Amino acid sequence: MFWRKTREAIGRFHPAHQRLTLERTVSASSVPGEWAAVLASLSQHEVTVKRRKWRLPSRTTAVLVPIIQVLSEDTAPDGAIGVAADFRGPRAPGKKGPERDLPVGGRVRRLTEWFVLDPWLQVRAELRDGSVLEIRVTDRIRHRKIHRVNARGKHKWKTKKKAVQRIDVKRTLARDAAARRPGTAPPAWIRVRVKDGKRVALNATAKLPRVPEENDQLQAILTVVAELFRWTPPQASGRTA
Amino acid sequence: MNPCGATTGFFVLGRCDRPAVTACRCGRPVCAEHVDAQGLCPECSGVQGYADPYRPGWARGYRRAHYQRTSYDYGDPVLYDTYHGYDREGFDQGGDSGDDLDVGGDLGDGDGGWDDS
Repeated sequence: MFWRKTREAIGRFHPAHQRLTLERTVSASSVPGEWAAVLASLSQHEVTVKRRKWRLPSRTTAVLVPIIQVLSEDTAPDGAIGVAADFRGPRAPGKKGPERDLPVGGRVRRLTEWFVLDPWLQVRAELRDGSVLEIRVTDRIRHRKIHRVNARGKHKWKTKKKAVQRIDVKRTLARDAAARRPGTAPPAWIRVRVKDGKRVALNATAKLPRVPEENDQLQAILTVVAELFRWTPPQASGRTA
Repeated sequence: MNPCGATTGFFVLGRCDRPAVTACRCGRPVCAEHVDAQGLCPECSGVQGYADPYRPGWARGYRRAHYQRTSYDYGDPVLYDTYHGYDREGFDQGGDSGDDLDVGGDLGDGDGGWDDS
């Protein structure tokens, strides 16, 4: 069998790491200590697996691992971090929406449009201050297929696509915790909603006009998350564990 | 007991209360969990590079850069100043004079003091 040793090595990976390698998805909820074991397993991937097909999705190193590292810092040792990541890409089955024809005129015979929704990252973490943080990142790609006939009767088909990204973050504060509006407004591309109740819920939604480059993706997510923590500044002094 | 002066958390900032085992070059006392192999605190360690996200404690090194960048993105200097002020309290061992920024560190001598972190 080809790649026998590599298959055996993958078999020794952490189960979440195995799924990420073979299925390009991961869905798990664990405490930070268990995630540390997953990250330790992932860190050995590059030296162990050389086959292109089994390479880790690039968003693993650029986004998933740093997000887990960040949330592990804010989660108590027994607090759960849940991750559902889908790195199969927008062409995976089930992500394409229905097609619809748009009104056309002139030489354009037909214009078909459809959207692909790719919710590739969902995270939930129970933070040490009693609040619960939920992050959802979705790529939304609009496809348009245009059929036109030129003056000489020649038929042409052209496909265009445009991708935007939506980042939704929700933080449900601990019971009796209060939120205070920060001194400055967030950037125009971030919209914040506050829902009062027994537990105050802060929602931040960002719609990015394009999908960020991989190097900028992490910061884009953390920038939106940071807005919800501006509403509850840290204690000015004192040792609070 | 000389408590560790490391700031814990990323968004939910806290203070480490473990006993310090050594002092970083910046003067901050650090415990066994927060000291790296070179004897540096998370902040000074982060300055040396936080490129490898698989490294345990990576987020502690990335934290200051994140606050700096986010503060710029928001046009909100208070965000970074709040973090900076909170983090600087780690030098204050008494815990009752949190505004005394002269405690610890080699500030102002221009050879890699805390402000370079």
